[in-house]
Amino acid sequence: MENRWIAYLIPPFIVTLLLVAGSQFVFIQNSFYQDLGLGRTGTDLTLVNYLKFFTDTFYLKTFWITIKVSAIAALLTLFLGFPIAYVVARMKSKLAMFLLAGIVVSTFVTIVIKVFGLIIIFSADGVINKTLLNLGLIERAYSIIGTQEGVVIGLMHFTIGFSVLLLYSVVVTVPPSLEYAAQIHGASRLRVYQRVIIPLCAPGFVVGGLMIFNMCMGAFTSAALLGGGRVLTLPVLVQRTVMMEVKYSTAASIAFVLLVSVILINLFSLIAIRRLRSARLVVA
Amino acid sequence: MKKYKKSLASLGLAFGFAFGFSSMAVAGQFDGVTLKVATWGGSWKANMEKIIVPKFEALGGKIEFVTGSPAANFAKLVAGRGRAPFDVMEVLDAQVGDFAQVDYLQPINLDLIPNKVNLQPFQYNETYVGSWNTQETICYNTEKFAELGLAAPKTYADLAAPALQDKVSLPDINSGAGLANFGGVIYAAGGDEKNIQPGLDLMKKINATKFWTRGGETKTQFESGDIYAAVVHAGWCTRAARAGSPVMTVHPEIKPGVKGLAKEGWLGIMKSSENVEAAHWFINEYLTTDFQYEYAINSGVFPLNQDAIEKMKTDEINAKLMELDPGAISSMLRLDYSKVDKTAWIDGWNKTLTTN
Repeated sequence: MENRWIAYLIPPFIVTLLLVAGSQFVFIQNSFYQDLGLGRTGTDLTLVNYLKFFTDTFYLKTFWITIKVSAIAALLTLFLGFPIAYVVARMKSKLAMFLLAGIVVSTFVTIVIKVFGLIIIFSADGVINKTLLNLGLIERAYSIIGTQEGVVIGLMHFTIGFSVLLLYSVVVTVPPSLEYAAQIHGASRLRVYQRVIIPLCAPGFVVGGLMIFNMCMGAFTSAALLGGGRVLTLPVLVQRTVMMEVKYSTAASIAFVLLVSVILINLFSLIAIRRLRSARLVVA
Repeated sequence: MKKYKKSLASLGLAFGFAFGFSSMAVAGQFDGVTLKVATWGGSWKANMEKIIVPKFEALGGKIEFVTGSPAANFAKLVAGRGRAPFDVMEVLDAQVGDFAQVDYLQPINLDLIPNKVNLQPFQYNETYVGSWNTQETICYNTEKFAELGLAAPKTYADLAAPALQDKVSLPDINSGAGLANFGGVIYAAGGDEKNIQPGLDLMKKINATKFWTRGGETKTQFESGDIYAAVVHAGWCTRAARAGSPVMTVHPEIKPGVKGLAKEGWLGIMKSSENVEAAHWFINEYLTTDFQYEYAINSGVFPLNQDAIEKMKTDEINAKLMELDPGAISSMLRLDYSKVDKTAWIDGWNKTLTTN
C-alpha cells in the first residue's frame, strides 16, 4: 500500500529534477570553467573561479555581510513576529481570522512595492524622519538607503508576514491548558513564557529562524533597492556580475557558494541544536 | 489628345515615384510581420507606441517590445548565444566594444535609411545608426544650495562639500550611465582610462548617499528631499523641473577646454533577425523629426536630428537646462571605451566605493 503512494511521487519528482536540478546543473557546471567574459568559458575544468572568491577580500566581505544581515534580520523578525503570532493564536474572536487573512494578503504584495513603501516612509520628508526631527531626537534626516541597517529593515519587511504565519502554526500546537495549569500552580505570566511556551515552541523557532534566514540569504530586491549600490550582498553581486560584466561562470561560482553555504549553515545549525538538546537531557 | 495622354502618363509616373517607388511605405508591406524591439520601458516605449507603432500597423505589421536596459538585453543575447529574442536593439556607446568581440549584429544597409540625412556623417556607419545622445550633468536643487550658502557647483569636486554629505546621488557603475560618468569623474580628478585611482578617491570623498541604477530614482529623491544634487543626464533634471522641483543643471568642467560629458545611443540589427526590411524601416522612422523631438521632450534625451535640435530651442526648460550650442556639444568629453578596462574599473569601484 505504501509503495503505491510512493509511485505517485515519481512524476513530480522527475519534473522537479528536470526543471530545477537540470538547469542548475548546467549553471553549476559552468562555474568549473575559467571565465573569459561575455559568456565565454575556457575548455579545461578548473577551480579558478572559486579560488578567486575565497582569496579576494571583496568577495569574502560580501559573503560575510550577506550572512550577517540575514542572521540579524532572521533573529529580529522572529522576535517581532512571535508576539503577534502568539496573540493571534490565542484570540478567541473571529478577529483572529481577519488578522490572519490580512497577513496572508500582505504577503501577496510585490516586494518592489513593499520596499518603495519603506523608502517613502523613511525618506527625508517621510513620517519617521519628520517625527524624529520634530521631537528633536535627530538633527538631520536619516536615510536608510545605502546602509546595512536599511537592508536589515528591508529583509525584515520581506519576511515578517511569513514568520507570523509560520509561528502561528507553531503556537496553535501548544495547548492553552498547559499555560493554565502552570498559572494555577503559581507561575507568573513571565515564568509561563520562560518554562512552558518558549521551550515548547523552540523547535518551531529553530526551523522558522532557519527558513527566514534562507529567504534573506537569497533575497535580491530588498538588498538591491535598499543597499543603494553601497551595500552588496551575494544575490546582488550575482546580478551585477551577470548584467554588467556578463561573466556567467563567475556568477555561477558565487551562486554555488551561496547555495552550499546556506545548506551547510542549516545542517550545522540543526546538528548543533540536536547536540545541545541531547546535552540538556543528560544534565536533566 | 496625344499630348494630353503623354502628360497624363508623365504625371502618373511622377506620382508613382513620389508616393510609390521611392517611398518605403507601401500599404500591406509588412503584412504578418512582427518586429521585436529591445528598448527601455516607460516613456521610451510609450513614445514609440505613440508615433512609430501606428505607422507600422498601417503597413500591416505589429511591433512588440522587449523592455530592459541595454545591459540586460545584451545579457539575454549572450545567454542565447546570439539568438536574440528581438530584431532591433538600443545599444549604448559603452557596449560597442563588447559587441565588437561577439558576432551578434548584421550590417545595416544605409540606402534603406534615407532619414540619415538628418544626422551628422559620424553618427552612422555600417553596423550602427545613432539614435540619441545625453548630456551628463550635475543636477542640483537651487533652493537647498542657497539655504546651505553654497555656490552653484562647477565640477564634481564641488559635490564633496561637507554640507552635501549624504545628500548626493551618483550613478552606479552597474547603470547605463555608470561607466560614462565614472569616466568623467576620473578625468576631472586628473586621471584617465588607465589611471582610475584619482576618480575613485574623488568619488569616495563625495560619499554619495546612493548609487542610482535608474535615473528616475534621482527625480523621486529630489522631490522627497533626500538629495540636493545628483550626477545624472540633463533629461532627468528637465523631468524633475517639469514636475516642479527647483533644479538646475551644470555641465561639469572636466579639463581645460572640455566642459560637459556626452553619452551616445545607437541602434543595431541582430544577426539572427529575419525581419531585416522591417528593422531598417524602424530605424528610419526613429530618425524622423517628429519622433526625435517627441522623444527628447518626453524622455529627456538629446536628439540627433538637426531639425529636432532646432525645435528644442523653442522649449523653455530645455533651453535653460540643456546645452543647445552645437560647438559646445561637440567639445564635450566622449570616452574612448576601447581604452577602458571594464573589469579593472568595476573591481576598483567595488573595492573602494561599496561599504564592503
